Amino acid sequence: MKIAVCIKQVPTREWQPRLNDDKTWIRDQDASFEMNEPDAYALEEALRLKEKHGGEVVVCSAGPARVSQVIREALARGADRAIHVEDDGLASADAFVTSGALAGAMQDEQFDLTLTGLQSDDQGFAQVGVILAERLGQPHATIIMEVQVQAPSAGSGQAATLRVKRELEGGWFQWVAMPLPAVLTIQSGINQLRYATLKGIMAAKKKEVRKAAVPAGLAGKQKIVSLYVPEKGKKTQLIGGSPAEAAKELVRRLRDEARVIA
Amino acid sequence: MILVIAEQHSGGKLNRATWETIVAAQQLASLLGGDASLSGGDVSLSSGDVSRSSGDVSRSSGDVSRSSGDRASALSITVLVPGASVGSVAAELAAAEVHEVVTVESAALESYTPDGFTAALQDAITQLSPSHVLLPHTYQTRDFAPKLAARMDRALLTDVTASKTAGSEIAFVRPMFQGKLTADVVPQGPAPHFVAFQIGAYRVDQVVKGAAPAAVRALSVTVDASAIREKPEAPFQQAKQAVDLSQAERIVSVGRGIKEQANIALAQKLAEALGAEIAASRPICDAGWLPMERQVGSSGQTVAPKLYLALGISGAIQHLVGMKGSSTVVAINKDPDAPIFEIADYGIVGDLFEIVPAIIEAVKH
Amino acid sequence: MQTLAFWILLLTFMGAFAAQVARRVQLIAAAPNTFSLDRLGFRTTRFVVDVLLQRRTIKERPVTGLMHAFVFWGFAAFGGYTLTEFLFGLGIVDLTHAGWFHAYRLALTPFAVAVLVGILYLLIRRAFVRPVALGTTVSVESIVIALFIATLMITFLLTFRLDEGTMAERVNWWVHATVILAFMALIPASKHLHLVLSPITVFLKSPELGNLPNLDFEKEQVGLETVKDLGSKIVLDAFTCVECGRCQVNCPAWGAGKALNPKTIVLQTQAALLAGERDRKLGEIYSEDVLWQCTTCGACENQCPVGIEHLPILIGARRGLASNGDAPDYLGAMYNNLERRSNIWGLGYDQRTKFVVASELETFDPAKHDVLVWLGCAGSFDADFQKSLKSLFGILRAYEVTFGVLSKERCTGDPAKRTGNEYMFQELANGNIEDLKAAGPKKILTSCPHCVKTIGDDYRKFGYEVEIVHSSVYVEELTRGAGINAAGAGINSGPDKVTFHDPCYLGRYAGKVDEPRALLERFGADISEVERNRENPYCCGAGGGLLFSDKDEEPGTRISDVRFKQLNATGANVVVTACPFCSIMLKGAGASAQSDTQFVDLMTYVNGKLQPRA
Repeated sequence: MKIAVCIKQVPTREWQPRLNDDKTWIRDQDASFEMNEPDAYALEEALRLKEKHGGEVVVCSAGPARVSQVIREALARGADRAIHVEDDGLASADAFVTSGALAGAMQDEQFDLTLTGLQSDDQGFAQVGVILAERLGQPHATIIMEVQVQAPSAGSGQAATLRVKRELEGGWFQWVAMPLPAVLTIQSGINQLRYATLKGIMAAKKKEVRKAAVPAGLAGKQKIVSLYVPEKGKKTQLIGGSPAEAAKELVRRLRDEARVIA
Repeated sequence: MILVIAEQHSGGKLNRATWETIVAAQQLASLLGGDASLSGGDVSLSSGDVSRSSGDVSRSSGDVSRSSGDRASALSITVLVPGASVGSVAAELAAAEVHEVVTVESAALESYTPDGFTAALQDAITQLSPSHVLLPHTYQTRDFAPKLAARMDRALLTDVTASKTAGSEIAFVRPMFQGKLTADVVPQGPAPHFVAFQIGAYRVDQVVKGAAPAAVRALSVTVDASAIREKPEAPFQQAKQAVDLSQAERIVSVGRGIKEQANIALAQKLAEALGAEIAASRPICDAGWLPMERQVGSSGQTVAPKLYLALGISGAIQHLVGMKGSSTVVAINKDPDAPIFEIADYGIVGDLFEIVPAIIEAVKH
Repeated sequence: MQTLAFWILLLTFMGAFAAQVARRVQLIAAAPNTFSLDRLGFRTTRFVVDVLLQRRTIKERPVTGLMHAFVFWGFAAFGGYTLTEFLFGLGIVDLTHAGWFHAYRLALTPFAVAVLVGILYLLIRRAFVRPVALGTTVSVESIVIALFIATLMITFLLTFRLDEGTMAERVNWWVHATVILAFMALIPASKHLHLVLSPITVFLKSPELGNLPNLDFEKEQVGLETVKDLGSKIVLDAFTCVECGRCQVNCPAWGAGKALNPKTIVLQTQAALLAGERDRKLGEIYSEDVLWQCTTCGACENQCPVGIEHLPILIGARRGLASNGDAPDYLGAMYNNLERRSNIWGLGYDQRTKFVVASELETFDPAKHDVLVWLGCAGSFDADFQKSLKSLFGILRAYEVTFGVLSKERCTGDPAKRTGNEYMFQELANGNIEDLKAAGPKKILTSCPHCVKTIGDDYRKFGYEVEIVHSSVYVEELTRGAGINAAGAGINSGPDKVTFHDPCYLGRYAGKVDEPRALLERFGADISEVERNRENPYCCGAGGGLLFSDKDEEPGTRISDVRFKQLNATGANVVVTACPFCSIMLKGAGASAQSDTQFVDLMTYVNGKLQPRA
């Protein structure tokens, strides 16, 4: 099976964002970066599918030069080779442009399966995977918990099919079948992430990373006019009063502020 | 015209989030109506004007400031209900203060599939020509909305919490960088602009109901059922025997502060009242008061619920690393110096045996 | 005639001896060279004390050790005697009638008696008392050797009674000589090879506990994967083992009923080497699960009287497994946390920033500050341990010591290093070293003994040398001359009955056992010593990655539970700790036991006495 995994490099979760001068993007010169954690689960799933069904895993990423760091991390974990669509403008690109950049480089490879994470930790639009499916003309499913590849009966001339378990809200699930090739966005936490081994890191240095250019004519479909720090900080709110009063106030805040109970 | 796409659960029941989206639409409509120069139409209706003549189905008639049909359609809200047989849902939605409810029925839409819904909605939207298409940012919307927007080559903003004016434009507010920053985003390119709203961003009780039910009409679309590549099976709920705390949305967790095994029943009552799973720190499971599968911590389960209520848990670091992914942490402990308060969003210092019954009371109203 | 016979016997038995020794020497020579002779002075002193004076043998088992010392000293004393008799027997030269030889023989008599007493004691202990350290079955070979030694002494003593030239005397002589030759032949194929090897092994033992060679990534070194990867010191160690079981009975994992047994590890190594299975995987030989049960406390290596270093085998084999992705899942999660977040918890550094701000800590500036305080991962993230650090800051401020902290810390890499993920360790180490060099402290102060070891010893191998001291040592020096504040309110009234748990990385690795006690006594504590204390504490069970191990996977009981019982048995209701991990583990054990025992960190205790709350 030829499996593509799209991964994104994002600022680390604990990095305190600094805004650029016109407050329309972050100033990331002094940020530290890491692989988008949801994509790490997609990568893990791809590696497991390869271990089960054979084939190769190709890591694809669209971004500036620094993205090579997460590409190496993916190669160190067992991906066979990589495609890097390199352009500085991709650092702040929206899902439309990003998926266009990826599709342009992936089109000719004819992947059987493409996996992405659910969404990115920086922009969090949760769109790239789905738009990618549309651009590649392939069926897709999102928030996938389990992937089953069903090989066709020998000599039938039919393609392998996919049967995937979608997570629905409220503890419901659903299996969906579709033909390959297809695109899936993977739910986080579905498997134990492997770590980068010393041997993997050494081997990664010798694996191929193909550079690709962003296709012409891709225009973004959104403009950030203002980026700012929200007023509410992460401070512990201690609720005082008698037990009955405190309880009532707590329930009110959980209902109205945090919105975690009905 | 603002188009709201309704969503149903697989059984056909209306997803509550649709009402939130209607609220979003109504508030967006106010914004659009407040300024003639705003994109979306030239109308002079001041926001907050809710006068309507009784017995009048459509907002446009009988109201001085809304006499122009153009103005009405520029501001009006249409709710679209896709599915196989959606009559009752449509009727339910007609109670809202909207221009009309449009049903899009097709056998191909019996079960949700991205192919089917994208095809049907693309056809419908092309016919209706809205300025905005609003959806609730549910799992289902995540599944097809980007496809639909890409197919139509239009902007889609997701996880939006509010709409506002930004100069002469309408901007949509959404969190970024794990909530550390907030962005005001303006969609680019021609209408319609797709916007998916965060669940809970709008409150259902803020929906403006119409004096009389809105009109309901059917819209015919072409969906080629044979072109639908996805074959979904019936949805199911996970069997309840396996305790999977990692999927729980709300968790009530007990620590040594619960003192005795018998007192766990109190925590369980709270869990029931909140629709939560029960969990515990290690000493409770070591003592056998709760099974090992309910242990949260570095040597137990890692959980990331929306709500984690820690009762009598001190907050030792091995426990913390198991629940640090929780969106909202509530700590109840009689020790004000307990480390759990460092990471709690809300905390009550006091006797849990008095506070928990009070919470159960308050939750039930 | 007798001479010829003796020559034949000698050559035969010595041939057997030589062949066996040669085989083992060959195996040592074929192994990658890991011998070192740094710090010759230290090595020489240790040689004199541990080998010649038998200190390590006697210390842990005083009577048994002394008995062995008798046998050893006797053995050494008899060397000249045996040589002289053999030269006579081979017809080379007869010095047996010289005056000095006669005096020599007389002088040997008390030695012979001592050896007899010793060997009889040891024989009875092995055959009848059967301590668990010596294994479940009685070693026949050991009995035979014991009888040989007894025979040698008896035949020696008999020479005073038997007249020269008589049949009895001749038979006696031949028995003595033949036993020696048989002994020689038996030595290399048995644990008695230690007679030859242990002085060498002790001399070659690293001055540092738990010392492993660096992995050279350029040369694609990944750790010990197969038998042929075992270094020369490890091979030497494997053949030196006397099977005394000191390592076994001191091992906290073994003591908690787990499968890990350091003695078994060494003997399995020996068996694999002798079987010639050069390509056999170490993970198979030791059985992988067992390897992950080690806390790296060092009790095994520290106790060994013959210079065996167990940790290079265990951690070296871990490296081989970890480099291939075979570390257990809970460690994999820890490695991912280290990679993504530079700390084992996977938490964000805003916690640390919050603490730094709340404690009004300044960024370290060598021009302004006396010391750099290294918070460590517990100090950065564990709200519980931060209370102890606040106490430390209180003490420093009371004594007007100026201090600052780094603006950014990563985990020192200790958990990665001890579990065999050398790559992760070096990534963290290199980052920290860069930051530390830029900050330029002369002295670093920390409350975590693991950080002391890692920054103090391990970073040195990467080119960074700095003086790093544990808070107990620093504060002990700082507060000399102080006493209990007269208005001081103790934890209870009157002297506090406490017990002190020596952290393995402070007591055993760093040898700092007096400073914490001096501090406690200075501030009014009445210490009830726990069994297994000072340089030989019983581990709390956190080290070596075990902090994260899943309970279900662990056979036996938890190491921390065993230690907690020991601490409880002292009768003290306050346990003082001086390491964040000991604190986490023991508090957990206390909670699991539903116990009311209080735990207090040493700094909190001291600060509470220095500056009691009004």
